[in-house]
Amino acid sequence: MSAPVITVRGLTMGFGDHVVMRDLNFDIHAGEVFVILGGSGCGKSTLLKHMVGLYKPMAGRITVAGMDMDPDDDGAYRRILARIGVMFQGGALFSSMNLGENVALPITEYSGLRGRAVDDLVRLKLRQVGLEGFEHHLPEELSGGMRKRAAIARALALNPEILFLDEPSAGLDPISSAGLDALILRLNRTLGTTFVVVTHELSSILTIASRVVMLDAASKSIIAEGDPHELRDRSAHPFVRQFFNRQPGMEG
Amino acid sequence: MNNTADLDISIGSDALSLTLRGALNLQSVPGILDRLALVPRPLPKRIRADLGGVTRMDDCGALVIMELRRMAEASGGKLEMERTPDHVRELLDFLRLDSPPEPGPIRRARPDILTRFGEKTMHVVDQAASHVSFVGETTTTLASLLVRPGRLRLGDTISYMQRVGVDALPIVGLISFLLGLIMAFMSAVQLQQFGANIYVASLVALAMVRELGPIMTAIIVAGRSGSAFAAEIGTMKVSEEVDALITMGFKPAMFLVAPKVIASVLVVPLLTVFSNLFAIAGGLVIGVGTLNLTLNAYMAQTMSTLSIFDINWGIFKSAVFALLISTVGCFKGYRVRGGAASVGQATTSAVVTSIFLVILTDSVLAVILRYWRP
Repeated sequence: MSAPVITVRGLTMGFGDHVVMRDLNFDIHAGEVFVILGGSGCGKSTLLKHMVGLYKPMAGRITVAGMDMDPDDDGAYRRILARIGVMFQGGALFSSMNLGENVALPITEYSGLRGRAVDDLVRLKLRQVGLEGFEHHLPEELSGGMRKRAAIARALALNPEILFLDEPSAGLDPISSAGLDALILRLNRTLGTTFVVVTHELSSILTIASRVVMLDAASKSIIAEGDPHELRDRSAHPFVRQFFNRQPGMEG
Repeated sequence: MNNTADLDISIGSDALSLTLRGALNLQSVPGILDRLALVPRPLPKRIRADLGGVTRMDDCGALVIMELRRMAEASGGKLEMERTPDHVRELLDFLRLDSPPEPGPIRRARPDILTRFGEKTMHVVDQAASHVSFVGETTTTLASLLVRPGRLRLGDTISYMQRVGVDALPIVGLISFLLGLIMAFMSAVQLQQFGANIYVASLVALAMVRELGPIMTAIIVAGRSGSAFAAEIGTMKVSEEVDALITMGFKPAMFLVAPKVIASVLVVPLLTVFSNLFAIAGGLVIGVGTLNLTLNAYMAQTMSTLSIFDINWGIFKSAVFALLISTVGCFKGYRVRGGAASVGQATTSAVVTSIFLVILTDSVLAVILRYWRP
């Protein structure tokens, strides 16, 4: 297996006195599609925000691309940011810019491309998420699912080595959702992009994930880690079984 | 990972031959496009690209193919791709590059002057219509509260009374005190020449109680609270909270507007009284400190200048201003469409419109007063 691109060691996270997760340890390797699972409100998005440096851990450390994640160290943080892309749960498109300008922003800021090449690349990005022809629309003129896809196009803009996606398929119709899975697998296979994905979509998890971790709010820890098919078929943990088999009843 | 790419260009009489090698990605493509732009025009009809050496290519690399195709089409020929690796072919298929995306800038072009004029006109008409319906809805809501006062959300109203009134006390006090100080100081220079020092007290008291107290307080409240109302309701519109209220059967006018308007109308007049007192105190400091007036003389002169009518008139004006500021703030918040930028515009517009309306109303009231009590 290739070297880890993200390591999480002894991570304890929370707000004020409230601990959300305690002493998390795991590695994410280059070229993986790593999926974070868990019930609503168990801290999946919080974990993602720790990994991209938006929140500070209560304890423990995180390294990304071999560098310590420390937002206070401006130089190192910028070097990390140059290699990652993030898509937020609500899309977080800039409301004052149209879709094209949203996607073009990182390209004009951080690449040597100019003029027509930027316009062409933006349209290719939007084509990949099925939004070609919407480049002149403002975010407010689009549905939630379309905004989400545009946000993915923006996260993809610079073809980063590591892409963090927070619930990418929530709110998408099954066809767009399958298209998104195909796009993730394609980028993963051809460019070797590492994905860290928070999602609930069972079909999506079984299609894209090379490895998953499952967080549990009750024990504030990881209760399962590994290949999703194996977990579905072999795990003895009641919560994991319930999650994969959608059994009603037993509480995890 | 090797991120470099090579481009060899040879121009023959009948064909332009290019050889691409290495990784075509965001790092290497800008340089390649720059070099292609430097190839002397006119181009030969045939453009041959040898892609055999391309090791990696992403969607950014596809820009090179698109550019080569454009160059070929411009000279009336066609791009011939040779030794295309499978991964490149697959990528071009995936991106459906056979039907390249529409050309043209991404930025929304600025509409021409006629369109903008039309849009602006429609905006004004639209705003006027929604203004009428907003004023109507607010009025009926406030009227219905007179019949059934129990429907007012008392907790919210008290909380707004604190935010609009109590929290503004320090800044209103400080500004008014300094205003009184300055007025006394500036007028003293003139009045001293006539030995009319004592009239400094009259000037400060009358100017503050009749005009400046209500106006200054209104301007501070517009800046502090009118803007906050617009931002609060505007953000609620953006995040669909107002829609949620409507679908839950609450009337936004009752839920959001009435507490703010009633709280403002109740506390802003009190703030004005407070402002008057501090300004008079400011004048007093100058009067007693530098003009050799006694405390008693200054206060006696102030009391004899002011009539009960002056004080009441100032307080009445202040209540009218509060009504204007709070309804304008809420109205501007209601008009928010879209996102963050729209909230910013609404906030600015709330403050500017409020201050304008306050001054305008003050002028109208001054004219009315002139004919009422000549």
